[in-house]
Amino acid sequence: MNLRDSLRLRLLAGSLVWIVVTLTVTGFVLTDLFRQHVAARFEAELQGHLDQLAAVFEFAEDGMPRLRAELSDPRLRLPYSGLYWQIDRAANGAAVGVLRSRSLWDSTLTVPADALADGQAHVHRVDGPDAAQLVMVERMIRPASRPETAYRLIVAADERAMTEPVAAFVGLLVRALAILAAGLVALVALQLYLGLMPLRRMREALATVRAGRSRQLAGRYPQEVQPLVDELNTLLRHDAEVVARARTQAGNLAHAVKTPLAILANAASREQGEFSRLVAEQAAIARRQVDYHLARARAAAATLVPGMHTPLRPALEGLVRVMRRLHAERELEIDVAQVPDKLGFAGEEQDLHEMLGNLLDNACKWARQRVVVNASLEGRTLAVRIDDDGPGLAPAEREAVFARGARADEQVPGSGLGLAIVRDLAHLYGGDVHLDVAPQGGLRVTLTLPAA
Amino acid sequence: MRILVVEDEHVLAAQLCEALSEAGYAVDVAHNGLDGYHLGAEESVDAVVLDLGLPHMDGITMLTKWRAAGRDMPVLILTARDDWHQKVAGIDAGADDYVTKPFHMEELLARVRALIRRAGGHASATLHCGPLTLDTRAGRLTIEGRAVPLTSHEYRVLAYLMHHTGEVVSRTELTEHIYAQDYDRDSNTIEVFIGRLRKKLPPGMIETVRGLGYRLVDGK
Repeated sequence: MNLRDSLRLRLLAGSLVWIVVTLTVTGFVLTDLFRQHVAARFEAELQGHLDQLAAVFEFAEDGMPRLRAELSDPRLRLPYSGLYWQIDRAANGAAVGVLRSRSLWDSTLTVPADALADGQAHVHRVDGPDAAQLVMVERMIRPASRPETAYRLIVAADERAMTEPVAAFVGLLVRALAILAAGLVALVALQLYLGLMPLRRMREALATVRAGRSRQLAGRYPQEVQPLVDELNTLLRHDAEVVARARTQAGNLAHAVKTPLAILANAASREQGEFSRLVAEQAAIARRQVDYHLARARAAAATLVPGMHTPLRPALEGLVRVMRRLHAERELEIDVAQVPDKLGFAGEEQDLHEMLGNLLDNACKWARQRVVVNASLEGRTLAVRIDDDGPGLAPAEREAVFARGARADEQVPGSGLGLAIVRDLAHLYGGDVHLDVAPQGGLRVTLTLPAA
Repeated sequence: MRILVVEDEHVLAAQLCEALSEAGYAVDVAHNGLDGYHLGAEESVDAVVLDLGLPHMDGITMLTKWRAAGRDMPVLILTARDDWHQKVAGIDAGADDYVTKPFHMEELLARVRALIRRAGGHASATLHCGPLTLDTRAGRLTIEGRAVPLTSHEYRVLAYLMHHTGEVVSRTELTEHIYAQDYDRDSNTIEVFIGRLRKKLPPGMIETVRGLGYRLVDGK
């Protein structure tokens, strides 16, 4: 799925970008703040040790420098513990490591060469014993009792004491931010799901319209979507009205043209001679033309309107009542008992009546005693089978009866357009009509249509 | 037998009237829905030929109202609206047959004849009563195989009696079913036709039921 094609993907990608950027910046800022804090604390601690060292530093009676008391931190007595002090003589016979902490054991701290004013403190980073990186604080003091000498007091600590808490903090921070990011992404996804729900509902409503289960998009939608839904419903209604108008006009035209045709044909049939024969013939031709084009006009309006659902069984039963009247003299048995109740056609009732009416009428014209209708659902296709026990049709004749105006037998009344119209209508709906042999030996007509 | 034709196209109505009269029916014609409705609701008609698209009241409404009022005469819808949807609507409104325009007059006549016959409970187009055989298709009477000529009014009276063999038929009823509404009716003329028929039929077949009317019996 392309980013351009999906609203949800676009919104999700946008949210993802800002979540990642915000949390990354937050991570860096927090880490830096923490690192600064830890470094300040670390140096303050070293400074504290240095102050304590300076406080206990004195000279013995023999003039040798010494400490009045042991420094309190136990790490200073543990070899290579990571915390060290050292006192160098900086003037009047310079010497490194005049005094040093027990933790330095047999090594000394090397101070980078620098000029240090009295009382001034410096911070350095140096290599210490045990290949550790040390942070070192030094201060030059000049004891009041011996102003000619200067001493460099040094306190150093392993840098890891500072970096390890920072690393631990970063690890924790990254995990916390990752969890936060995951939570935010989940929330954004949920928000998108809920926010785009009306669109999904609209799509489902449209699907039911297309499937013929509904004629309008039902339900209330948020005010951002409702205008679109209203427009769609208006469009659907408009389509239905256009179709209804087309049908009414076709009906009116039928009435307007066929009544004069009836009058002409009746007048002609009362007279003898060439002229009346011509009128009768031309009236018959005109009737066929009108029948054909009216049927086409009705059919053309057929599939324009989505959202149709016509139950099969009631339509068939209505037609059977008609057939019992129209073919009352034949005393036929017309059986639709096998047709399941639930089947429906995804189209106009008028069109279903037109197709089944023509097929049933044909079957009743040709049947000897019995017409049987059955129907089944084959996937998304509705298959209606109409069997008669009449003479049937030879395979060679079967295609010919679909020809416009063809009739298998001129003795049986009808305009001969029935099957052609049924096939046109069925094709418009994406269905078809097949002729075959019925189990009783007559004709079986199978009409396939989209199911609803 | 009296037929009501409801058809707003005058020429076609006249053609129907002419063909039905020639076939031996008394014919009433209405050119709009309201007139048609009142004729069908109030007059004794034996069958109706009904157009659907009519001024003032459409055919389906008319038919529905007749049926609701208990009028059960056979009704044949004659219309240009030939879609099956309309046919279902027409039959479900109470029509007994449905013919679409343009039509063959012979077919229409055959269907009207069949409707009247079935309404009387007769299975065949040929009615029998004792030695009498009335072929309603040809409008011909034979007595024991011998053709007997009848005038149109004699035929109508006999046809009505034969559709109601064994029943007492009043003079008024006969008048109503033999004459169209706008015909100058005179129930005394019924007696004239009965008298003429009695001369042509074997004796005793048309009984007079005093104060009630006439009855056709099979004479055995």
